[in-house]
Amino acid sequence: MPIVLHIKDIRKVWHIERTKEQVVALDGISLDVERGEFLVLVGPSGCGKSTLLQIIAGLENPASGGIELSKSLDGHKETGMVFQEYALFPWRTVLENIVFGPEVRSVPKVEREANAQRLIELVRLRGFEHRYPHELSGGMRQRVALARALANDPAVLCFDEPLASLDAQTRKVLQVELVRIWQETKRTFIYVTHALDEAVLLGDRVVLFTARPGRIKEIVPVRLPRPRTITGKQEVELLEYLSERIRDEVERSLKAEGLT
Amino acid sequence: MWRRYRPLRIISPIAFLLIWEAVVRLGEVNPLLVPAPASVLRTMFDMTIDGRLPWAIAVSLHRVLQGFIYGSVLGIGLGLLVGWFRPFEDAVDPLVGAIYPIPKSALFPLFILWFGLGETSKVITIMIGVVFLVLINTVTGVKAIDPVLLKAARDLGANRRQTFMKVVIPGALPNIFTGLRLGAGMALILVFITEIEATKAGLGFLLWESYQLLLVKQVFGCTIAFGILGILTTWILQWLEKVLCPWRRV
Repeated sequence: MPIVLHIKDIRKVWHIERTKEQVVALDGISLDVERGEFLVLVGPSGCGKSTLLQIIAGLENPASGGIELSKSLDGHKETGMVFQEYALFPWRTVLENIVFGPEVRSVPKVEREANAQRLIELVRLRGFEHRYPHELSGGMRQRVALARALANDPAVLCFDEPLASLDAQTRKVLQVELVRIWQETKRTFIYVTHALDEAVLLGDRVVLFTARPGRIKEIVPVRLPRPRTITGKQEVELLEYLSERIRDEVERSLKAEGLT
Repeated sequence: MWRRYRPLRIISPIAFLLIWEAVVRLGEVNPLLVPAPASVLRTMFDMTIDGRLPWAIAVSLHRVLQGFIYGSVLGIGLGLLVGWFRPFEDAVDPLVGAIYPIPKSALFPLFILWFGLGETSKVITIMIGVVFLVLINTVTGVKAIDPVLLKAARDLGANRRQTFMKVVIPGALPNIFTGLRLGAGMALILVFITEIEATKAGLGFLLWESYQLLLVKQVFGCTIAFGILGILTTWILQWLEKVLCPWRRV
């Protein structure tokens, strides 16, 4: 598989103005992401996995190091972000939210709306096109956010704990939906979560982060057939392995915060 | 709004008026100072027929509308710039901080000296009163926009101008309406104050003249007319907000 994203020796430092402290959020992150892969980033909270995602999406700049993204064929923006808080524009209907990206890129109205209709079909929101975000459930909002990110036709989709605000039932449904949409669109998904079961269910590879400063502790390939179930024997084994590996890091990060 | 029928909401004001009427008729208060509601209504009716009340309202409304519209446009425009562009904030903030605490009615004498006794000084006083309330609420609205929305806009490819037009303006709209509602109330206060002196027309003038002639029923009538104006402006602004912000759950 060709490499779609080349991450090279990224370092990120936060400067805390009040205390003049410098916090190293990420250090020495190098990673190659294959085109079409479902990559999951997991680690204890505060390990910088979300920061790395923001750097990939171009919303944050690294202190040193860099990323190389192979251009998508038609030169569109190469990444699209799905946020935990949905980040839908409350004053725009479902359809208007989805066309936002093409709209600011001046894609003709007919074309962008036809494309949006196709995406509405893909994320199964037919019948809700003219609802406002507050008239939708959390799960539906995240479907809109996904369609909105896809509307820009990015090569890489970045997910920042997209299911963390949802109830357990909705999460299960959307985990299945995400895999389906990933398979149908053949995009590269980079998915940040702290839920290990999600890593097992979704990922082609799971990148484990250390506690702050965030470094890559281990990259675990997941060679399990899909569809996966969280109660399957191999899945359970992998889940146990991941939680074993991450336990030290969680304890370290708790210690760093003075909580143990 | 009307889904739940709450009878007390209707009974309470009617009971209040009935008790008032009864108290006056029983001779408990001096009707020259506190006239009965029915007689006030009668007076208002007469003032409407002879044209004095409608004319006074029209004159005042004209002043209020001019001051309100100029003040709103200036307040929204300036507020968006101050909220979104740091240099504007640095330039305008100290001025707002210095002028805002002054009661706007206290500026009226100066405006009479500068702009004369005519309409201009009144309209400018009203405008100044409106501008600050709209400005401050617009700035609040811009600053209250969820940063993740700005991030999302940037992620989707919006440049700074597009973010301003498509995120900042609609995002600030609900707070802008709060400013407009407060501004409308301020405009009514100020139109009354500017009509006490140096004018021969307007609802405030009619009220003040009635007071000086001890026509208490007319004073009540004008006061009620002011109240009705207040309610009407609130309704119109609420309607406008519903049309312009259909996504808001009210």
